[in-house]
Amino acid sequence: MSQLVLQNLTKHFSGATAVQDLWLEVQAGEILALLGPSGCGKSTILQMIAGVLQPDRGTIALDGKLINRVPPEKRDIALVLQRGLLFPHLTVGENVAFGLKMRGINRAEREEKAIAMLHQVQLDGFGDRKPSALSGGQAQRVALARSLVIRPKLLLLDEPLSALDANLRAEMQDLILRLQTQTGVTLLIVTHDQAEAVVMSQRIALMFNGRLRQVDSPEQIYQQPSDETVAQFMGGVNFFAIQAQGQQWKLPNGLVLVSQHRHQGAIRATIRPEQIQVFTEMRSQNNIIPATVIANRFTGTQRRLTLAIAANLTLQAWVTPTQDFHVGQAVWAYLPPENLWYFSQASALPQAVEVP
Amino acid sequence: MLKNTLIVLVIVVLFLPLLPLLVWSFSQGWFFPQFIPEQWTFQHWIQVFSPASRVMEGLVQSLAIALTTTMLSLLVGLPAGRAIGLMEFPGKAALKLFLLTPIIVSPLATLMGMQFVLIRLGLNGTLFAVVLVHLMPTIPYMTLVLASVFANFDMGYEIQARSLGASPLQVLSQVTLPLIAPGVVVGALFAFLISWNEFLLTFFVSAGRVFTLPMVLFTLLQGGNNGLTAAVAITSVVPGLLFLLLASNALQNETTLAGLGNV
Repeated sequence: MSQLVLQNLTKHFSGATAVQDLWLEVQAGEILALLGPSGCGKSTILQMIAGVLQPDRGTIALDGKLINRVPPEKRDIALVLQRGLLFPHLTVGENVAFGLKMRGINRAEREEKAIAMLHQVQLDGFGDRKPSALSGGQAQRVALARSLVIRPKLLLLDEPLSALDANLRAEMQDLILRLQTQTGVTLLIVTHDQAEAVVMSQRIALMFNGRLRQVDSPEQIYQQPSDETVAQFMGGVNFFAIQAQGQQWKLPNGLVLVSQHRHQGAIRATIRPEQIQVFTEMRSQNNIIPATVIANRFTGTQRRLTLAIAANLTLQAWVTPTQDFHVGQAVWAYLPPENLWYFSQASALPQAVEVP
Repeated sequence: MLKNTLIVLVIVVLFLPLLPLLVWSFSQGWFFPQFIPEQWTFQHWIQVFSPASRVMEGLVQSLAIALTTTMLSLLVGLPAGRAIGLMEFPGKAALKLFLLTPIIVSPLATLMGMQFVLIRLGLNGTLFAVVLVHLMPTIPYMTLVLASVFANFDMGYEIQARSLGASPLQVLSQVTLPLIAPGVVVGALFAFLISWNEFLLTFFVSAGRVFTLPMVLFTLLQGGNNGLTAAVAITSVVPGLLFLLLASNALQNETTLAGLGNV
């Protein structure tokens, strides 16, 4: 269990900024997801933590010890890359035992530990196979086993599941979480898939263009995004211009919503599409808006409705698939006050997060 | 069927010219109209192994020079090939072209200059000088072969090995070298054969003091003893052939081939 602290981390590549003034703390035993679109600098951060890239500026500390100048092999930080990269000239067992061999551990103990580790990733009896005989999911499990067998202080996963199909990915997510619980290893996952980040991590560090935008629990990032870009990246689709007077929020069409949050003046408001409730009858209640269904899409787990409220104001509401609607139907949308969220202009600016 | 015919054809074309050599080396007095030699003899082969003919001396020197040249060109070619294959830097295309110059420019054009420099350095006629001039064509070959090998090499393997606790030296011996082994074998084969067969440069630089197998053969060709010449010619083919067989054996090993980036 180890704590990782990044301070003021900056990296440029021939003029272009990859990572800018990054401050981030990963607690001992924590699972943190570094989330962002491809090319936002998250893999660069991982490589700097692993020690294969040197930062231009800033410090990396593991358990309170500065490791900027420590070579990668002495950091006790294991890296699993997207492609798995099992050594093709070694058997599966030799791959798993590789890190132990490099540490000068004798053959008998190496084999014993490798076999035990293969058991933990449910690949009993695969030790003598060649990596070329494995499926993508099996190869990725071997890569995990190879990294965990050396008992690293920190495990870095760089898009470990993006090459796998959806069913296998869910299975692997469970396996990774189970292994993390068993070993208690501090885990940093890099991903561009917000759903994966939400499922896998205790906290998400969301970044755009080399800068951190928000570091919070998945719930908070979903419910209280720091700005519209964050909200959009997390799948937010409903955004309106609002004139706020305390808790009274006026929509452009004159309708007034009640919110739990107080504000004065022009703001942007948002609500998650799955938090909107849709009724077929009028109810006398706050935040009930008359609307017309203009699109109805069934996704299996949800029914995605597009509701027209006014001439150029639409809402997306994702309701349970058992509720059926037809296009053109008059309905009432309920926007729970506790789920309405807003951004002022000020919070849209990038901000330094978690300065220790 | 066609495949077998082709194989037979290739063998005939490649090895039939060697057959008269074999016959010559075991015969005495085999002249044009005769279909078979007048007399069979082991005399030429006995001569090959006798110190007086200096064939074995040439063989040992050639072997020593070729192996040293191969090792040294590997030593230079590995890091150079890695840099050219994996990294981007200004002037890379020009450097690759420059590397081809010893292959493009005839050694005759550079020979005088080289000899002049070696004499000034007091190296003329030494084994070291011969190795030096052999390195001129072998280093470019080795570098270019290894550059194309490294161009297909996934640096992720090295990063992965480092993060698992391998020192740079361990990464080289446990990961990089095993993965690029086929390329190394091909490059080494080239270097060895170039050095093994090199005559012209050796002839001038050795100043008669270093005596390689091609030089033995050249002297014999002038002498007109067909039988002995044939025996020495066969002797000079053997190491290259052995090396080639070993190399093709290593290249057929699928695990070494699997290392060329495509897992």
